[in-house]
Amino acid sequence: MRPLTEDESKTLFTKLTNYIGKNLIHLIDRKDEPYCFRLHKDRVYYVSESSMRLGSSIARPNLVSLGTCFGKFSKSGKFKLHISSLDYIAQYAKYKVWIKPNGEMPFLYGNHVVKAHLGRITEDTPEHQGLVVFSMSDVPLGFGVTARSTVDTRKMDPTSIIVFHQADVGEYLRDEDTLF
Amino acid sequence: MDVSNILASHAAKYQSVTVEKETSLDVDVGYLTVVDPNPIDEDSYKSNLEEHLQSLARDGIQSLLSSLFTLPTKSSDDGPLAQLPPPKIQLPRAKPLPKPKPPTKWEQFAAAKGIQKKRKDRKEWDEERQEWVNRWGKDGKNKQTEEQWITEVPLNADVDYDPRKVAREERKARVAKNEKQRQGNLARAQGPSSSVADTNPREQRKKEITKSLSSARISTASMGRFDKKLEGEKKIRGVKRKFDANEQPVEHEKNASLALLSKMESDAKKTRAAPPSGDGVVNVRKAVRFASKGQGGIALGRESSGGSTKRKQGAKRR
Repeated sequence: MRPLTEDESKTLFTKLTNYIGKNLIHLIDRKDEPYCFRLHKDRVYYVSESSMRLGSSIARPNLVSLGTCFGKFSKSGKFKLHISSLDYIAQYAKYKVWIKPNGEMPFLYGNHVVKAHLGRITEDTPEHQGLVVFSMSDVPLGFGVTARSTVDTRKMDPTSIIVFHQADVGEYLRDEDTLF
Repeated sequence: MDVSNILASHAAKYQSVTVEKETSLDVDVGYLTVVDPNPIDEDSYKSNLEEHLQSLARDGIQSLLSSLFTLPTKSSDDGPLAQLPPPKIQLPRAKPLPKPKPPTKWEQFAAAKGIQKKRKDRKEWDEERQEWVNRWGKDGKNKQTEEQWITEVPLNADVDYDPRKVAREERKARVAKNEKQRQGNLARAQGPSSSVADTNPREQRKKEITKSLSSARISTASMGRFDKKLEGEKKIRGVKRKFDANEQPVEHEKNASLALLSKMESDAKKTRAAPPSGDGVVNVRKAVRFASKGQGGIALGRESSGGSTKRKQGAKRR
C-alpha cells in the first residue's frame, strides 16, 4: 500500500473528472473525515485516514482490500474504473441517464444502452462524456460514455447505441473473483 | 607677600596633570585605549558611585592625553596632528584563518621528491644581445625563433618546412597543456562533486560509455541473460523507483492533489485555447464531416474542384 505518484494521480483524476467534473474536489477535500487514495496491488482504494493507518500495519501479501476500490491500473498504465466506485460517482455525477425498466436487464448483463431504452438524459450532454446510468426509480445501475451528444440523439433510430457500457452493478456477480 | 593661598586655589582649579596610581595604567596609544588594572576601591565605589566613575575616567583620559602630547607631531591645515604608533594590543581575528589551498599535482610531486621551489625571474639574460629580455610576453624569449628574421633549417627538413610555424605550434601546445593541467588542478581541488562530473568532458564521456555499454549488454536475444560474463563484470543496476511514505500526514497529500487538480485545469484551458475553434456557433469539425459525408476536408476540396469518379464510387459503396 502506498500513495499514488503524480503521474498515477493525474491518470486517476482525468478519469474521474470525466464522470464527476469539478466535484472531484469534494472527494479529495472532505469535510467529515480526511480521505486519501492508496495504491495496493495495482488497485486504487479510496480510504479514510483512520482505516489507512490501521491497514498499514497489515503485511502487503495479507492485505486483500481496504476502503473502497475505485479501479485498477492496467499494465500499460491506463486506469479502469470499477463498479465499486459507483456510490461516490453516482453521488457527484454531472451527467446522468435514466433507462426504462425494459432496458435495465440488458444493461445489467453488460450491453450498451440503445435509444429504445433511453428514458431521460441530462440536457446538453456532449459526445464521449462519462455519465452515470440510473433506473427510472433513481437507482444507480452503472456508468458509461455517451456515443453522441444529446442533440444528435433525436435523429437516430431506436436500435442505435446511445451510451457505451463501462461498468454495471451486474459485475458484482459476474466478476466477483477479480473485482476487488 | 604670601602667595600660598593663590597657589592653593590655582592648584585646586587645575588638578595636577600627573596621575598617581598604585599600578600604572596601560596606555595603547595606537588604539587610543587605556586599561586600568588597579582593583576597584570598594569604599569610594559604595559611597558615591558617580564620583568614583568620574574620577576613574578622568585619570584614564588624563594619562591618554599626556601620552598623546609626548608623540611626534606633524603640522597640517587643521593644526598639529599627532602621529600614532602601531597598536600594542593584539586583537583577535574577526574571521577564521583562510583554508590552505589544496596542492596542485606538481606541488604534491615536488613535496614527495623533496624538490625545492625555485623562483624564476621575469627577465632573462640574452647572451647575443647582451641585455635583459622578457622571459615571455612582449618580445619574449620564448618567441625568439618565431620573430627573428632568419632561422636555421635542419638538413633533412621537408621542402615546405616552416621553422616559425613549428616553433609557434610548439609554444601554443605548451600553453594548452598548461591550461589543461590547471583545469585539472581546479577540478581536483573542487573534489569529486556531481557538478564537476557534469561539466568535465572526460567524466561526461565516461558516463556515455557506461550507458552505451550497459545498453549493449542487454541488447542480445536473451537480453543479456545467457551471455558470457567477463571477469570482474558487475551486475547492471537500474534506477530504483521511489514513492512517498505511506505514513505521512494526509493533509500533505490532499494539498498536493488539489494543486495537481488546479494545474490540470489550467493545462486543459491552455490546450483548449490553442486551437481556435471559430466563433463557437458552428462546430467546424462537424460541419466538414457533414458536408463531405464523413470523408474529411481534403476529399471535399478535391470534389469541389472536379474530382475523380473513382472517389464518388467509393463514397456510394459506403
